[in-house]
Amino acid sequence: MWNIGIIMQNANLKMKNNNLKLKNKFIELEHGGGGKKSEELIAEIRKIIGGGKNNNWKNMRDDGATLDLTPTLSLSRRGGKYGRDAKFCVSTGALKCNKLVFTTDAFIVDPLFFPGGDIGKIAMCGTINDLSVMGAKPIGISLSLVIEEGFPMADLKKIMQSIGKVSKETGVPIVTGDTKVMERGKIDKIEITTSGVGLAENIISNGGAKAGDYIIVSGDLGEHTVAILSSRFNYKSKIKSDCRSLTKEIQSVAKYLNSCKDPTRGGLAAILNEIAEKSNTKIILDEKILPFKKETIAVSELLGIDIFSLASEGRFAASVSSENVKKVLKILKKYNSEAKIIGRVEKGKGVFLQTNLGSIRPIEALNGKLIPRIC
Amino acid sequence: MNPEKIIKNINKISKKIGREVRLMELCGTHSQTVARYGIKNILPKNIKLVSGPGCPVCVTDQSDIDIIVGLANAGISIAAYGDVLDVPGNIMSLSQARQRGARVFAVYNVAEVLKLKEKYSDIVFFGLGFETTAPATAWAIKKGIIAYSLHKLFPPAMAALLKSAKTKSTSPQPSPYKGEGDRIDGFINPGHVSAIIGTEVYKKFKAPQVVAGFEAQDVLRAIEMLLAQIVRKEKKVENEYCRVVKKEGNKKALDLINEVFEVGDAKWRGLGEIKNSGLKIRKKYQNQNAEFIYCDLIEKLRSKIIEKPSACKCGLVLQGLIEPKDCLLFKEICTPENPQGACMVSVEGACNVEYRYNNAKCKS
Repeated sequence: MWNIGIIMQNANLKMKNNNLKLKNKFIELEHGGGGKKSEELIAEIRKIIGGGKNNNWKNMRDDGATLDLTPTLSLSRRGGKYGRDAKFCVSTGALKCNKLVFTTDAFIVDPLFFPGGDIGKIAMCGTINDLSVMGAKPIGISLSLVIEEGFPMADLKKIMQSIGKVSKETGVPIVTGDTKVMERGKIDKIEITTSGVGLAENIISNGGAKAGDYIIVSGDLGEHTVAILSSRFNYKSKIKSDCRSLTKEIQSVAKYLNSCKDPTRGGLAAILNEIAEKSNTKIILDEKILPFKKETIAVSELLGIDIFSLASEGRFAASVSSENVKKVLKILKKYNSEAKIIGRVEKGKGVFLQTNLGSIRPIEALNGKLIPRIC
Repeated sequence: MNPEKIIKNINKISKKIGREVRLMELCGTHSQTVARYGIKNILPKNIKLVSGPGCPVCVTDQSDIDIIVGLANAGISIAAYGDVLDVPGNIMSLSQARQRGARVFAVYNVAEVLKLKEKYSDIVFFGLGFETTAPATAWAIKKGIIAYSLHKLFPPAMAALLKSAKTKSTSPQPSPYKGEGDRIDGFINPGHVSAIIGTEVYKKFKAPQVVAGFEAQDVLRAIEMLLAQIVRKEKKVENEYCRVVKKEGNKKALDLINEVFEVGDAKWRGLGEIKNSGLKIRKKYQNQNAEFIYCDLIEKLRSKIIEKPSACKCGLVLQGLIEPKDCLLFKEICTPENPQGACMVSVEGACNVEYRYNNAKCKS
């Protein structure tokens, strides 16, 4: 979900690379956990690749990198210099957009098929949602497959059918792709990478929350992780993955959102901490109105996993000003009746929970990986 | 009773007591509840809660980790519960061994080990935990799984702790405690362990004790009951968690433990070797006992253990002698991503809990 968007420009790069000291000798599982270790790894990769300063891409640490097309397109305008008044707009249906958003994501899921979806559905929705939370309308997706030798054709068919279904429902076409097959045992079943481009008029960044805003969610959270874990451990559970495309929902309220993110890897704890940090504000949630179903809480307690770190694949959280919050909820409730306010934004730092006992405690972003407890 | 009433009553009683009261939550899950609900923030100033040795991962001795890592590095497949994988030994942790090519699997339950055995017939299950997880290991051993048992018994550790709680100056570390009376005034006894062993066993300990559940209200109620005992100068065992914990415990689970295990000595991080505090696999099942099967290799590994000097103070934290923040490494070098000691690894470890929940200032 991170984007480099870098053009290698430095000829002396090779020389410099040899002197770089790396913090870790081996890749650890925590490096893929979405926490601080992941950030560390990304920082190291950026350092090794180098360059990246002389490009016009922005939001490179958000869900998608953005590029203002105005300068490029203005070049083709006859004679004139471009300026604020001379915005050149690309017309995509009803939207008039001049910002390109680009994102990519790799998907590995165990099990491949789970209640409410499969790896194909996630691979589509994940990338579409990364574009959507930036305020963009997705216009095209690339699809790369790495498949293990001996993988059942029937399973591949099922996965491709669900990719086709999402594409049809959302109107986002698959426009390019690639396939590779690996020797048996060299990869675990299948890995899917999707990249996507979208166009936006206004970018919703994760740093736009203001004191006085309300924090809203588009529905109950954490059901994706619970569905995956339940099927992995054969728990009987009614919970299905919440995996779905968010484009329509977000487009319908985009102009009212000050900041927006989808709580995938790392869950609500990760995204609220990111919003609070980048917006320089404090977020306080109320335990009485948390967006989790009883069953979600029960399964996460059984496994010893913090509910605030559970992932959703078809929900978003956003900060909205007090004037607009009622309007936004009214619209969102048409898509999901569980859309609601879960907290507020104040001046200060950090993310906190007001407990039912009246005490306040911090909600920390996950460090390392999710591990079950033994007692 | 509603929590507000309990808090009110706690305030009332603690005023009556006046002096500083130190209560120890023996179980890691209680430490979690205390932190998750910010219970320390709502208690009166003279009531202090300290974490005890109730996290099975945290009390595992480094030399035992070295042995299991040694087995893994020798090419033997190892399966263990997830939180054990990151506990640092003197040389490396199991997950670091895996990064370097050893076959190490994280499992959620022992049934998964049965499945793994179909593919890796040499698989050794690293059995670890108190009376709560021992029955599952016993079941696996009966099913033919080879196990390396580090299971420990809770009551002997409590006895050792009580001994050190009475004799104040055994620790090289100056205790922050300056009040009167015993160093620990009362104990919140574990709920899960007690569900297996019952409540009768605690009677021999002459201290106020309450067996408690894991909701915020359970812990508050336990604190209230302990304070009431202290006011009445009583030292008895009460059961707040009677919806789960029975006086006689879980006979079926205890029988299973007795069938497969016998009592032996065990090494505890922080508390040292405690007599009759461990569960060893009985001779009847010696062909499922990794310690028996690989005894030569283990002997060799044991002779090579060199204790790495470390400033980690897990041992003192476990006994409630110091708080995590009193350790020089805490938050500076020792973090959940880069744990120096076991208390930072497990989500129930005192340092991990302190790091996650009290990292930021709540009043900002």
